Amino acid sequence: MNPLLFFRRIWAFVVRDWRLELSYRMQLFLRVLSILILVTTFFFVSKIFVGFADPRFTQWRDPLAAWLTGMAMLNYFMTGFSSLANAIRQEQVQGTLESVLMTPISVPTVIVASSAWDFVQATFFSSLYLVFGWLFFNVHYQGSYLLALAFLLLTTVVLSCLGILSASFAMVFKRGDPFGVFLGTGSALFSGVFFPTQLIRDYAGNKVANISLVLPPTYGLDGIRRVLIEGQGFAQVRQPLISLFVFLAVLLPLSLWVFNRAVKRAKREGSLIQY
Amino acid sequence: MSAANFPAGSAITTQSRKAVLSVDHISKTYPVPFLRLKKALKRKFKPPVEAVHDVSFEVSEGEIFGLIGPNGAGKTTLTKVMATLIQPTAGQVTVKGYDSVHDDVAVRRNVGLAGAEERSFYWRLTAEQNLLFFARLHGLSGDQATRRISDLLRMLQLEDSARKRFAELSTGNKQRLSVARAMLADPPVLLLDEPTRSLDPLAAARMRSTIKSLSRDESRRVTVFLTSHNLAEVEELCDRVAIISKGEIKALDAPRNLRATHSDNEKVSITFVVDDAEKVETALREAFVAHPFTLGRGDVSDSWTLSFSRKTNDQTLHTVLHVLHSTTCVVKGVESERATLLEVLEHYEHPDAEPEEDALSA
Repeated sequence: MNPLLFFRRIWAFVVRDWRLELSYRMQLFLRVLSILILVTTFFFVSKIFVGFADPRFTQWRDPLAAWLTGMAMLNYFMTGFSSLANAIRQEQVQGTLESVLMTPISVPTVIVASSAWDFVQATFFSSLYLVFGWLFFNVHYQGSYLLALAFLLLTTVVLSCLGILSASFAMVFKRGDPFGVFLGTGSALFSGVFFPTQLIRDYAGNKVANISLVLPPTYGLDGIRRVLIEGQGFAQVRQPLISLFVFLAVLLPLSLWVFNRAVKRAKREGSLIQY
Repeated sequence: MSAANFPAGSAITTQSRKAVLSVDHISKTYPVPFLRLKKALKRKFKPPVEAVHDVSFEVSEGEIFGLIGPNGAGKTTLTKVMATLIQPTAGQVTVKGYDSVHDDVAVRRNVGLAGAEERSFYWRLTAEQNLLFFARLHGLSGDQATRRISDLLRMLQLEDSARKRFAELSTGNKQRLSVARAMLADPPVLLLDEPTRSLDPLAAARMRSTIKSLSRDESRRVTVFLTSHNLAEVEELCDRVAIISKGEIKALDAPRNLRATHSDNEKVSITFVVDDAEKVETALREAFVAHPFTLGRGDVSDSWTLSFSRKTNDQTLHTVLHVLHSTTCVVKGVESERATLLEVLEHYEHPDAEPEEDALSA
């Protein structure tokens, strides 16, 4: 694959989506406003818990910082596992998928390019959670930002693999994607976005708590909070990092294989543009 | 139907040219989704649909090849198989030697498809932005894309619509933009699905002229595969035409050969001027006791038109001209009309139907 052509095509998708986004300016403004309102709400809710934090949960001494990192990452992770399926579904609904696949573009390029803009957008909106917290509500972060970024990217790539599986479902079944349902709601509940995962073990037992162990966002969030809130270094966050690499090693080849099969199946059935 | 039956260039003088597009025993059956699951659950299902059956032909470089047939005959399926958007169940399509299944990216580099589907563009982007996006997907650099888009917009008279959103374009301009997109990467093969469907007569004529010039341009020799319901257009443009019905190619030849082989009847109209028309009519009745004809006033004053049918190469025309000459008629014009492509198409679609009676018969 020619890298120049690869990036040219990704850039084409980003520019296209940016132009489409610009044609809906009001939506962009309202989304920024809604994030500010949400951060403000979290600030006031966090004030209820001042002085009540359980000493076991070191990441949650400042609940606002924990929530804001959780929300920012959840937004990013959701993009990871839903953007491609959404992009494919949208192209099917618009009727443009066939025109895109009529160009000499390879399947991996379609995968990366279709969700490129969503990641640009997610980066912007996720950073807004952190920036609003720092700017208006005195939330401070520490540790290596580079290491936090590595966690963020790794988790996102792992979730993108699940996103590719999700897109494969969209390609074949058109609707009724199970990954979006289980991972979307599952991650919010079991991955420690809003509360420490240890609480699930305390209240629901080991069996239920083990669900969080099979969700990649659990390791991603844990790693990012350890770095940004507890200020831990590389040696201390090795365990969640290795877990994410194991997920990646299994999910990346599997998801690419499944997506290729899904495209071939849709071509066999002649259902590429059906939705 | 095999390739041997319809060799490339069989009806035109293109046999020396190499085949650019080769369709070899292509069949396409749309499978029943989740058939095994439906059988296991004892759910009812419709039988698989065979859209194309054992189709073979070759299209030479610079040839304009037409595919005609009624709705549901398999035209779109065949076009999409060539465009790598649908995989065939059996057989092989090659474009410039690349296989449509195994070298699909290479095939798409050599093929441009202009479909009849309006929804294939981004409605909130302008015509130019749409073309720019697809040009970049074809791998064109910014400068190359801008130049190419500018040329295409000028060629297809879309310059005034370049900065309009796709949603604001007229149906005809949307159609032209689709053709422009197909030509972005300057592919050697163009697949055009009803390229003049929504165009006004003048724009349609310009589009036909553009298509012709693309294939006749010695420096490029673009091969055009065209599907259309406009039979006059097919006849005007295409070097060869294939008739598809119920997924099978029923006939393939140059349009005039198709018409000739379909029927050896032709309708003849002779315009003449004479002082005594009654005398002519009497002489004709004596000469043609069993042969029906009509005699009526012509379009020009004092002229008469005689119409009749005859078998190609029989003596009727010779006899009629002899009668007219002997009755001091001055013949102003002779026109003959063989079977139309529509009649050929109808013949293959309804082979058992009786041929229509000669409407001109007396």
